[in-house]
Amino acid sequence: MTATATTPTNTPNQWPAFVAVYRLLLRSVATPGRLIAIGALAAVSIFTAVVVHISNPYDSLGAATGYANANLSTLVPVAVLVFGAATLGDLADDGSLVYLWLRPVPARVHVLAAWAATVTICIPIVGAPVILATALIEPDSSLLAGTVVGGLVAISAYSALFVMGGIRFRRALPWGLVYILIWEGFVASAGQTAAKLAIRSYIRSILAEYTGQSIKLAEFTLASGILVPLGVTVVALAYASRRLARTDIA
Amino acid sequence: MTTTLGIAAHTTPIVEVNGVSKWFGDVVSVSDVSFSLGVGVTALLGPNGAGKSTLLRMLCGLTPPDQGTIRVLGADPRTDLPVRGRIGIVPQQEAVFEAFDAFSFVRLAAILNGVSDPDLVARQALATVELDPADRRKITAYSKGMRQRVKVAQALVNDPVLLVLDEPLTGLDPRQRGHMIELFARLGAQGRCVLVSSHVLDEVERFGSRVLVVAQGRLAATGDFRAIRNLMDDRPHQIRVRTDKPRDLAAALLEKGGVLGVRIEAAGPGRPASVVVDTTEAPRFRRTVAVLARDVNATLWEVTPLDDDLESVFRYLVQP
Repeated sequence: MTATATTPTNTPNQWPAFVAVYRLLLRSVATPGRLIAIGALAAVSIFTAVVVHISNPYDSLGAATGYANANLSTLVPVAVLVFGAATLGDLADDGSLVYLWLRPVPARVHVLAAWAATVTICIPIVGAPVILATALIEPDSSLLAGTVVGGLVAISAYSALFVMGGIRFRRALPWGLVYILIWEGFVASAGQTAAKLAIRSYIRSILAEYTGQSIKLAEFTLASGILVPLGVTVVALAYASRRLARTDIA
Repeated sequence: MTTTLGIAAHTTPIVEVNGVSKWFGDVVSVSDVSFSLGVGVTALLGPNGAGKSTLLRMLCGLTPPDQGTIRVLGADPRTDLPVRGRIGIVPQQEAVFEAFDAFSFVRLAAILNGVSDPDLVARQALATVELDPADRRKITAYSKGMRQRVKVAQALVNDPVLLVLDEPLTGLDPRQRGHMIELFARLGAQGRCVLVSSHVLDEVERFGSRVLVVAQGRLAATGDFRAIRNLMDDRPHQIRVRTDKPRDLAAALLEKGGVLGVRIEAAGPGRPASVVVDTTEAPRFRRTVAVLARDVNATLWEVTPLDDDLESVFRYLVQP
């Protein structure tokens, strides 16, 4: 085995690299602690739905729509934050990111793998329980369709946003909580202009469009409700790739 | 002051560093450093905080220089992806992918480098560092030395042209250190550029004689450390001469030998008396000492330089 000092000209096939990084990040980020914590939150959501169902509300579709909206606005982003920010953020913090970065692999491969790993974990651990909880209160088909579509769009957009946050900020978890609780939960609830800058406004619009229920600040069409968060996904992943390619690696 | 000597066996530089500086806020970490490296092993030396790790990170493209250029195989390692595939690094930090066993970790490195048979290459790399590819324990269960060897193994999977090792001997037992030093020398002899940062000078000396010395962010010297020592005219050489007539020889040296001073060391158990000489003209001294010994009818048993080892050179270079 003798090294040859010629200038290399090409990069290897990226698909095996994507699969390998995806598997790595899936295993790294799904720690027992995180799974138990988020699983417990999801269990509480289901338990609460059972209680609401037993209380037999007068307007069960309205109650179920409101409950789905609350879950998609808080439980989903918090769960996605916990996993998404950790995918590449943990590796950047402990210094092991160098083992991914110093390879002939474009940064977008790592970022897409992180996003895919986050989505893969969050769909069963938080998406499915939210749909189940909604169905327990009111098994209306339009509500369930809205919850499924809204859930998938929310997980996609928040995953991209928080994977980006994990690369951009050293303490992405508190920053993410500030975004979810202060910006989306408080500032963006104050008016329509600010609401345009909150993912939850688009998700609740999807729910409102599917169910025909009135939800505060759900002002967007179904197409906007789906396309804008997906656009945010693309932009956030593109920015994260650019940022990762230019970041200082410890 | 930068002392630059010709480095043997360098034809086409693999690494070219030109006027590189890097600062963090107000702190200058690396200041106007230039050098080139070809094949073979080079030791990067410097006290803590001298800028060694920053320099190594810049060589691998992990952080960009604020000024100057770095080229590996003629390309910028910061932006050129194919060049990254020709670099292997053993970073200083201990963190590895905790969910993995050694084989999976090294195999991942092989996949990311586009190796055609990652399983085979991972097994070979682990065997090279004397680790068992069938060991399925997580890396977190390994000793520090075993982890260090895993890190070396992952750096070998892409058959790198430039191998950068930041304190690779940390945590290894003496036998493993010897094995690693032999491995690095072999990799250098195979046509790679191997750059090893270490603070254990007596071990660095075993890598070979080529050094880069960094002090306070500046390149203090580059080349063969013995040749560097010979250029340090402001630092007298110390040479011990073992003889049967130390007093006669000392008197003759003071009179005709071009020395700054002599000291007679008394004989000890199994050790004859000797003369320790300070001189700024070591070559002249070596020529004249035998003649003077003959003149005073003394027998020379040994003439040994005391301070042209790497540690002395390093001390002279980094101390103000």
